[in-house]
Amino acid sequence: MPDKSTFSVIPLIVILLPWISLLAILAFPKKAERLRLWLCALGSLASFGLLFSLLPGILDGKTYTIKLASVVESLEMRLTVDTLGFYFALILAFLWMLATIYSISYIDHKHNRFFAFMAMCESFILGCAFSANMFTYFIFYEMMTFGSYPLIIHEETTIARRAGYKYLVYAVAAGTVLFFAIVAHYFWGNGELGFGSYGVLSLEFASRAALTTIFFTYLAGFGVKAAIMPLHGWVPDAHPAAPSPASALLSGVILKAGAFGIIRVCFNVFGTDLLRELGVYVVMAVLACITIVVASVFALTQDNLKRRLAYSSIGQVSYIILGLAMLAHDGALGGVMHLTHHALMKGCLFLCAGVILVKTGKKNISEMAGVGYQLPITMICFSVCALAMMGTPPSVGFITKWLLGSGALQASLPVYIIILLVSALLNAAYFLPIIYIAFFRWEGDEVEGHGETHRPKLVFGKEADHKLVVPIVILALLVVVVGIWSNVTGFPYSLVSRVVNVIFP
Amino acid sequence: MGAWRHFPIFMITLPLLGAVLMPFLGYLRERWVPYAALLPLAASTLLGFLLVGRIPAGDHLSYHLGGWEPPFGIEIRVDHVGLFLMLVVCAITLLALVYSRRYIEKEVSPGRRTAYYVLYLLMSGAMLGFTATGDIFNLFVFMEILALSSYALVAITGNRNAVRAAFKYVLMGAPSSIMVLLAVGFLYSVTGTLNMADLASRIAESGYTEVLVVSYILFVIGFGVKAALFPLHMWLPDAHSIAPSPISALLSGLLVEVCAFALVRITFSVFTRSATDLVGGTADAVGVAAAAAVLYGGIMAITQKDLKVMIAYSTVSHIGYIFLGITAFTAEGLTGAMYHMLDHGLAKACLFLCAGNFIYLKGYRRIEELRGAWRQMPWTCFAFALASISVIGIPPTAGFISKWYLILGNIRAGKWLYTIVLLSGSILAAVYCLRIIYYMFFQAGKEEAWEDASRDVPPGMLVPVWALSLGTLFFGVFSYLLIPSLLKASAYLL
Amino acid sequence: MRLLHNYHYAAAMALFCIGLYTVIVRRNIIKKLIGLNIMETSVFFFYISLGYLDGGVAPIHAGSADPARMVNPIPQALILTGIVVALSVTALALSMVILLYRQYGTLDVDRLMREEEPAAEGAAGEGEGGA
Repeated sequence: MPDKSTFSVIPLIVILLPWISLLAILAFPKKAERLRLWLCALGSLASFGLLFSLLPGILDGKTYTIKLASVVESLEMRLTVDTLGFYFALILAFLWMLATIYSISYIDHKHNRFFAFMAMCESFILGCAFSANMFTYFIFYEMMTFGSYPLIIHEETTIARRAGYKYLVYAVAAGTVLFFAIVAHYFWGNGELGFGSYGVLSLEFASRAALTTIFFTYLAGFGVKAAIMPLHGWVPDAHPAAPSPASALLSGVILKAGAFGIIRVCFNVFGTDLLRELGVYVVMAVLACITIVVASVFALTQDNLKRRLAYSSIGQVSYIILGLAMLAHDGALGGVMHLTHHALMKGCLFLCAGVILVKTGKKNISEMAGVGYQLPITMICFSVCALAMMGTPPSVGFITKWLLGSGALQASLPVYIIILLVSALLNAAYFLPIIYIAFFRWEGDEVEGHGETHRPKLVFGKEADHKLVVPIVILALLVVVVGIWSNVTGFPYSLVSRVVNVIFP
Repeated sequence: MGAWRHFPIFMITLPLLGAVLMPFLGYLRERWVPYAALLPLAASTLLGFLLVGRIPAGDHLSYHLGGWEPPFGIEIRVDHVGLFLMLVVCAITLLALVYSRRYIEKEVSPGRRTAYYVLYLLMSGAMLGFTATGDIFNLFVFMEILALSSYALVAITGNRNAVRAAFKYVLMGAPSSIMVLLAVGFLYSVTGTLNMADLASRIAESGYTEVLVVSYILFVIGFGVKAALFPLHMWLPDAHSIAPSPISALLSGLLVEVCAFALVRITFSVFTRSATDLVGGTADAVGVAAAAAVLYGGIMAITQKDLKVMIAYSTVSHIGYIFLGITAFTAEGLTGAMYHMLDHGLAKACLFLCAGNFIYLKGYRRIEELRGAWRQMPWTCFAFALASISVIGIPPTAGFISKWYLILGNIRAGKWLYTIVLLSGSILAAVYCLRIIYYMFFQAGKEEAWEDASRDVPPGMLVPVWALSLGTLFFGVFSYLLIPSLLKASAYLL
Repeated sequence: MRLLHNYHYAAAMALFCIGLYTVIVRRNIIKKLIGLNIMETSVFFFYISLGYLDGGVAPIHAGSADPARMVNPIPQALILTGIVVALSVTALALSMVILLYRQYGTLDVDRLMREEEPAAEGAAGEGEGGA
């Protein structure tokens, strides 16, 4: 809706607010540690708050735009808050805010570096969400990629370093491929890199082969971040190595930046008609299906909790890709909504894993017997999210599954439903044991004939610092609340349906 | 006729005049030399900035030396692109000169310091003249002044490795100069003129002849050696790594670019379109060499253990970028090449000066010794990181913009292989640059390695480094200041 | 026939090739410099022969000299500059040769370039050999 596009500095302010943290780190002495940390959280909070104030305008169909810089006329760095971008920005700013608060208690060394890069990454990824064209998107995307490296290797252990190295290898290769994709897009799109409601590329200006090349290079470039199966290698290493708030963000937001890129490519660059015309969506769908199933199988075999969650993320992000590839109204709706749904669920799960790690020191699922008694609130939240992941109603996971299933029927390809069912089954297979071990097993249980078992005492309310628990509880509540009242204003449905209804009238 | 029409010639002669006067000052008051040497360069820079916006688009400023009309007299010819490059030269030489004052106390013995400044000014003036001249023999003369001063500057420390590297440079550089001279002779024998504009029109009349082909090939080889194009680059890694760091910065950041620019002028302003078929065949060969340079330089850079040698090999690789941009023969490619001259100049000068900081403070040259350098030298390390990002071509630095146009140009030319080569070049750059950033920031060094270091180098050395690295950022974000006019100028050249 | 007519060009080119050959092949650096000078001389020769006119006179507009019979003065002027440049390069190179001989004790380019440097100086010489 370009007619209602208004100039506004708010997008710029929103992406600059997280930099408050950097100023805080520079401005306050080391002694005022707590003040400094809270200021870091404040930056994130303010950013979310300001963003939220844009909601009425967005619902009114407005877009806010500001030009930052340009190279030549058609090649400019511009921030535009449209509905889709706002939707992504809202969830990412929200999750980021919670993760920052969580980090205040969780991170115990090198605060400065961690918070500085947290803030920078938030700023960059908000920039991604607000990008008005692929050029801007790529710039922020690359900065975000390199900015998140220090978050991954924060622990500076050998494992973290190796994971960081792997991450960089994948990121650099993906960045190069993506760069090519964008230059080729610029060349064959007649210098038009912007996002149109129905796509901007067309067969008028470019050959089939050229467009297919552009699409697949885009898919490969973003696919690395979105962890589409042959390109997912960095994910299972990076998530366990990173500190938990960082892994929550990796899985909840940074993976989504890749997925969001693919959404932009499908909706706003190619447009659904062209995708259908080129037939490339089939490849996307096949890759997504493979990823969903194979990642779940891999997840089954992992004993390290965060590694299992990481594999689960790989599978879940492909729901988004699958939803897009259906090229049907409900499929797209489900896929794009899953962006938020998965961020809520997986964010919560990773933060829970962090609490477990901090309070008990346990990384592996097999060691977690009785954790549910030690950390009841955490584990209840964990269970809620785990059940949601399987698609149990009433939860966000259920909505995704429902919409994707309905999309499969609209696309008259019921085979997707089988994939979804298999995936749900596998999800249950790898999540239920965790819940079971946490609540119904306790240490010493395995020893036969040992009459006395160490069943820990159930203690509520004293399990961990509030800064750790509150974000988890909020997320777990939202998983249910959003699942029930999905079409409340500002919740995913209200925003996404506006976008999808335009594309699939 | 405003006074500004005289600015170009002042920009060139002031540093040369300074070079003549410096020995006297050195005899009288040696301590004043480092400050006095700044004056002519600062004046040139100022004049250059005053010229901005005065030259009408698509036109050029022509200055007739001694009032002799071309083609009889020597013409100084400054167009937009030339002025752009002259400003780059002025700015970088000025910054590296500021840097030199403290740095050469470490590497250059007291008796040679005045000589250092004399040669430095000579080289700066020669580079400016080389960029601006419109006379092809004058081009040769400036090239020789440039070459002579750079030979001497590489050897200025007088230690055995430096002299050896300089001699290697002479052994490749001097024959290449003679080839250029011969090429000028060939051109003169066919056309009977030495003025570039005049040459262009006469070549267009006479069309394709064998002598022209030979002449062009000689130009390519001659300037190719000076610009260190791949098979002719052998002198570069030694000379650039052993020279004092500010000199490495000039050699790597400016000299090779200026020589590449000379080849651009020869190709597009002298041989012009009418001789495309003649240029074409050679250009294909140059393209292959450039592609090889990108890959070879990148791979060699990865294998190096010495920081400055690594940066030098990275230069070999980036010269390949510039030539790939030129051989694309599209406006975008040429723009990319020009912009790459700017951002490579800034970034590479910054990297060499940072390497100089490590040498100055700790005497560290090897990459492994930089582990944990961040703790002690945060400012240097951050500047290094920023410049490396530009070398890789990660947004929002200037390296990204130039890479964008280089690749766009090659896509437009339909040169897919070169597009892939450019992309792989940036992957290689990422490997060798990120490795160093990793060592600096994310690895703990040995405690004793850094404990006796003072906090960081003195501000006189940090300011130039930061000015350069912020420059890469500035020209990345504000690329619209230059790109549109470069695109126009490139389209005009083609 | 054309070659015979242009024998001076052929001679210049032959000299040029001899010089280049010497620079590339000879191992003694003094001989390399001599080769360099031969190259330079060949180019000077080439230039001078460009402006040469059989039975020409010096291009001085004095008295009754016929402008049509004057030799072209421009190449000569250029070559004056060229000689100065060549002289400086040779002088600089020779001074380097002296330094090299003092420090390495050899004039053989292979031995010069292959000579191991003290470890502390860094691994600059890749041993790529002389040009």
